[in-house]
Amino acid sequence: MSTQPLEVAPVLSTPDTHIFEDPTPPVDVARLPRPSNEQFLVIYEVERTVREIRAGKWRRIALQFPDEMLTDAPRVFEALARGLKHARSDRISSVLPNSSLIDSNGAEGISKSLADVNLSEDGPQEKLFILADTSYGACCVDEIAAEHVDADVVVHYGRSCLSPTARLPVIYVFTTRPLALDMVLHAFRETYPMQDGKIILMADIPYSNHVALLLERLQHDGYSNVFAAEIIHDPSSPLPNRSVPADVKEKAETLRDYQLFHISDPPQSLLLTLSSRVGAIHIYPTDNSSAAPPEALLASSAMTLRRRYALLTRLSTVSIFGILINTLSVRNYIHILNHVKEQIAAAGKKSYTFVVGKVNAAKVANFSEVGGWVVIGCWESSLIESKDFWKPIITPFELSLALKGDAERVWTGEWTGDFQAVLTERANVPAISDDHAAEENGDEERLQDSDIGSEEESAPPEFDLRTGRYVSHSRPMQAPPSQSAKKASDPERRPTSSSLMKRTNGDLAQVGGVVSPAAEFLRNKRTWQGLGSDFEIAYDEPSSTDMPGALMELGRSGIARGYAVGDGSSKT
Amino acid sequence: MVNFTVEEIRALMDKAANIRNMSVIAHVDHGKSTLTDSLVQRAGIISSAKAGEQRFTDTRPDEQERGVTIKSTAISLYASLTDPEDMKDIPLKVDKNDFLINLIDSPGHVDFSSEVTAALRVTDGALVVVDTVEGVCVQTETVLRQALGERIKPVVIINKVDRALLELQVSKEDLYQNFSRVIESVNVVIATYYDKVLGDVQVYPDKGTIAFGSGLHGWAFTVRQFASRYAKKFGVDKNKMMSRLWGDNFFNPKTKKWTKTAEGGGERAFNQFVLDPIFRIFGAVMNFKKDEIPKLLEKLEIKLTNEEKDLEGKQLLKAIMRKFLPAADALLEMMILHLPSPVTAQKYRMETLYEGPPDDENAIGIRDCDPKGPLMLYVSKMVPTSDKGRFYAFGRVFSGTVRSGLKVRIQGPNYTPGKKEDLFVKAVQRTILMMGRYVEPIEDVPAGNILGLVGIDQFLLKSGTLTTSETAHNLKVMKFSVSPVVQRSVEVKNANDLPKLVEGLKRLSKSDPCVLTFISDSGEHVVAGAGELHLEICLKDLEEDHAGVPLRISDPVVQYRETVGAKSSITALSKSPNKHNRLYMIAEPLAEEVCKEIEQGKIGPRDDFKARARILADEHGWDVTDARKIWCFGPDTNGANLLVDQTKAVQYLNEIKDSVVSGFQWATKEGPVAEEPMRAIRFNVMDVTLHADAIHRGGGQIIPTARRVLYAAALLAEPGLLEPVFLVEIQVPEQAMGGIYGVLTRRRGHVFEETQRPGTPLFNIKAYLPVNESFGFNADLRSNTSGQAFPQSVFDHWQLLPGGSPLDPSTMPGKIVYDMRKRKGLKPDVPGLRM
Repeated sequence: MSTQPLEVAPVLSTPDTHIFEDPTPPVDVARLPRPSNEQFLVIYEVERTVREIRAGKWRRIALQFPDEMLTDAPRVFEALARGLKHARSDRISSVLPNSSLIDSNGAEGISKSLADVNLSEDGPQEKLFILADTSYGACCVDEIAAEHVDADVVVHYGRSCLSPTARLPVIYVFTTRPLALDMVLHAFRETYPMQDGKIILMADIPYSNHVALLLERLQHDGYSNVFAAEIIHDPSSPLPNRSVPADVKEKAETLRDYQLFHISDPPQSLLLTLSSRVGAIHIYPTDNSSAAPPEALLASSAMTLRRRYALLTRLSTVSIFGILINTLSVRNYIHILNHVKEQIAAAGKKSYTFVVGKVNAAKVANFSEVGGWVVIGCWESSLIESKDFWKPIITPFELSLALKGDAERVWTGEWTGDFQAVLTERANVPAISDDHAAEENGDEERLQDSDIGSEEESAPPEFDLRTGRYVSHSRPMQAPPSQSAKKASDPERRPTSSSLMKRTNGDLAQVGGVVSPAAEFLRNKRTWQGLGSDFEIAYDEPSSTDMPGALMELGRSGIARGYAVGDGSSKT
Repeated sequence: MVNFTVEEIRALMDKAANIRNMSVIAHVDHGKSTLTDSLVQRAGIISSAKAGEQRFTDTRPDEQERGVTIKSTAISLYASLTDPEDMKDIPLKVDKNDFLINLIDSPGHVDFSSEVTAALRVTDGALVVVDTVEGVCVQTETVLRQALGERIKPVVIINKVDRALLELQVSKEDLYQNFSRVIESVNVVIATYYDKVLGDVQVYPDKGTIAFGSGLHGWAFTVRQFASRYAKKFGVDKNKMMSRLWGDNFFNPKTKKWTKTAEGGGERAFNQFVLDPIFRIFGAVMNFKKDEIPKLLEKLEIKLTNEEKDLEGKQLLKAIMRKFLPAADALLEMMILHLPSPVTAQKYRMETLYEGPPDDENAIGIRDCDPKGPLMLYVSKMVPTSDKGRFYAFGRVFSGTVRSGLKVRIQGPNYTPGKKEDLFVKAVQRTILMMGRYVEPIEDVPAGNILGLVGIDQFLLKSGTLTTSETAHNLKVMKFSVSPVVQRSVEVKNANDLPKLVEGLKRLSKSDPCVLTFISDSGEHVVAGAGELHLEICLKDLEEDHAGVPLRISDPVVQYRETVGAKSSITALSKSPNKHNRLYMIAEPLAEEVCKEIEQGKIGPRDDFKARARILADEHGWDVTDARKIWCFGPDTNGANLLVDQTKAVQYLNEIKDSVVSGFQWATKEGPVAEEPMRAIRFNVMDVTLHADAIHRGGGQIIPTARRVLYAAALLAEPGLLEPVFLVEIQVPEQAMGGIYGVLTRRRGHVFEETQRPGTPLFNIKAYLPVNESFGFNADLRSNTSGQAFPQSVFDHWQLLPGGSPLDPSTMPGKIVYDMRKRKGLKPDVPGLRM
């Protein structure tokens, strides 16, 4: 094996054809007008950023751009560098801006940094870093990448999921886009002829600073009951990341009386979340290039919701779940991870945890043992709607439904992408998982009562709603009570002895005395188990005994970038 | 009064030679349930007055209401031969004149054919009922074919002879000719499906395998019965008499000579000796010749009670005929003498029943019908109990003995020996005897008997194998002649009722051997059935019984299949995401015969690969090497698509096989054109190039790539859509034929056979009708023929949707694809090759 130069990217990087399906609607970079220099400074809010950085006295600043804005990154970098230099040399005063700075410690942190301001003496020059190729979604702050450069603060550009961060303070720059207000007003009037209807005005983040102006003009027009939702940092709010009208604060159900007017297409998960909460959603499209004034369209998420329902019912009989960590920056992700694990274990199923970076079909299909995936990510990026995945991917909220017994699962159209809500619900109903597990087993117990004294009996199979068939062993970790009792009382029988024991035919595979569904998969479902010829396929019944095994030879060692063969002299 | 006890039945169960397991099968409305009544009445379960009207085995209210059987119903009866002399004629010697008849009445409507299949599996003989007037109809043929396929011996009763006499007023010779025509057409069917092991099972009146009668009036006879009568009277040999009483044997009463032709004043013996007394009774009673009746009765040794003597017309006729030729006698005689006992039948049925090797202990237990062998029990269907949501498992013991409390291994249809999947261990709670509307608990049941089981319904969805042997293979899974091709989706009106609907769907799926319930990719709850009537009944059950909540039901839709019309124009290539692995494949059409055999289970993934290769090579012209290198069937590992390895010495192919197979299962389940399942495509793996490092050719790289390359190969091979097609048989009088043609043409149907029923103005029309166009066909037909046409539709085959490529939205198939994609929430355009 001769040494070859590395011609292609190492495998673990994401191939360009499989870039993570970003939940943010794609923006066609080429079609966006190149902003003039002045506009540019406004869009990227360079001045404010500089002010805040100065105020926070941060030295190492990470700039995080979504992929479609990376082209602008150098200009932003230069503008910021210039601005900071200018500010340093000016050193006129430290006028405190209306800070939209958020850090993990909230207001307290800000006041602390404010207190520090006067003591400021300029240390070393600020250092800027551009973060490209974010580990997860572009909407999330990539704290890990920022920590790699030891950043004190992250400036996040573009639309954001506004999930609370765990480690670093963040300056959000929403990169405002222009909006033709007259057209919007026209569409609004067309949509809502009644001037006293209860309407919530909401805009996608890049358009959000038009909302106040729009509200003013609408009120001028005589719309009395319009509420303009302001951006707040709370994905668990009834309107995620937006403020709600006063009456809704008291009673969340009243939100259903409102109609929602949304400027620009909301991300799929937001639409799903909202559709069950408000009366109706009209979307004002902003990607319309035709001359005619755009109309606001009634949004319907019924189809998507039904598809999600199909997905989660498909997972209700799956025995092995994979938990995908799709964020490392959202606060509480450890809690939700533990919660999901507990939930899966309570249902008698097995879970494995994976960190794969950006999710793509190739990565998750490597684990054919896993029957379904749960994504723990920010509320926007958890919803992965793609047909390319071999096994479905669902959110923690959907998981809790999938694990519910068929006798309890209700699908009302309520949907939430934010796992915070799942955690809150758990806090309210602490024993929910135990409850339903007990109920599920009700039948079985009744049966077992009727024939006490008999040896272990199998648990009945479950009906797979998706295919209409019975699935056996969908809860492999739920050992029959008699069996587990036997084991507990007789620890000596653990396979510690070195003598050979005959495996009872049909017994589940065990690793270290614990049932291992993955080992079972290897034994039953895989025809290739690592032994045999590399060239010939035994078309005969695959009994490993009559297959010629390959010769043992000295293998390679090292990492995938370059293996060492034999004693390590030659690399391949 | 019931004239037998459970104890008596239990005692009989041990004598396998004295058991007859049989099903009653026929076309719809030929009188199965009515005839069954005569037998039930003989057993004393219902009164003789009600027999023929009560339809005891139609246990559901809607069956009674509609007058159509929906579910098959089993009943165990005790019987004995009237003439102990007859015992000598039983092929297998018995020492007691007591018999246990396990009888299953099955539905005749094509939509419920699956019930018939389930009934046939557990029986050894079949009583085929044929209407004198209508003759052999489509369903007669279907059920006969199924019976012979399961190696079930038929006997025939030609029913509704009273109609021929009363309504059509035929002459004796006409009636004889009519009988022989019907018998001939039955025999044609039997001969078509000749099975070497079962032997010649054609039916002949002079052999005693055919009876004639009227279920409604409760009378029937066999030539054998008359032969015994006359044999005694004339003192000739019974068998000689039997052969003379049918066919071209003429007797001249003047010369007392037998001839082979009618010349010289001879009269056909059948007419003279058999039909004549019947015609006379009919003539005398229906023409009110009161004085003649007593004379006739005396001559025929019939004694009527005083009440019966006061009757008139049809009632009197019924009373006389019942006394003269009780239907139960003729039927019982035919069954006991000519249908095999389990001992006889299981000898030749074993190899068609058992999947495992024919020489293991289980096979031998089945072959010998050994009550001491390992338990082998087949559950063929689930019967709802009064306890909502629970079912009796209905089946037959083929070997061993099952008793309450016995711990059994329950093997579902996907069980493979040595594996854990679809295998459960459970104790049987109770064993019961199925008695139509009632059940009787019974201690244990030995081999050869039909029974119900309590307590294992949770482990089997529809059918399965129960055994006590760890080495036992499955008893063969039943293949139905109907497929669930018509779908309707249901949703709850109130979202909180969803759990009830889900539970209802589970129960519905269990209660019917054929119905499928599942959730589609777009999230709809779908119920799929064999036809409109079947679905209607299922949905009614679902709404009123199983779920019990108000439902919204969509219009029926059909499921299409994606296929290819030619070989891929070029070899399709896909690179894995990391660009290190390449798969090369081509798609080509799979011959229709092969698909049919796969769908009928004649060729399957569980066959021995060498035997399978032989069949493919010898019967279907495959290359033997190819035939041995079939990687898998799909979708669901048993569908009619094949993945064939045609590579030459590729390194690491072994390793990626599982991944490619996974991709294949995925792709064949959701095709590229409209995400419908694929059918009749053979994919050949031409070549693969793989990275030398195992990590670079893992499932993640190969599975999505395999799917893409399969899609590309299919799209390169003139993709097409297959739609299901019904075979419709319509019986119609000549004057209404025009209407039929009109209706069929409007619905893209075409007639391919049109025959006149000899001696009647009725025409039999056979046509193909796309299932998609069949919704409301029956009503349409009725209105266009003033209610004179009676259609029977049964799924027949898949047909390429004509009109162009489904990829072009301007064609008809293209439009269907467009609508389908929209309905499923997909992008309306079919993705291109370079996905």
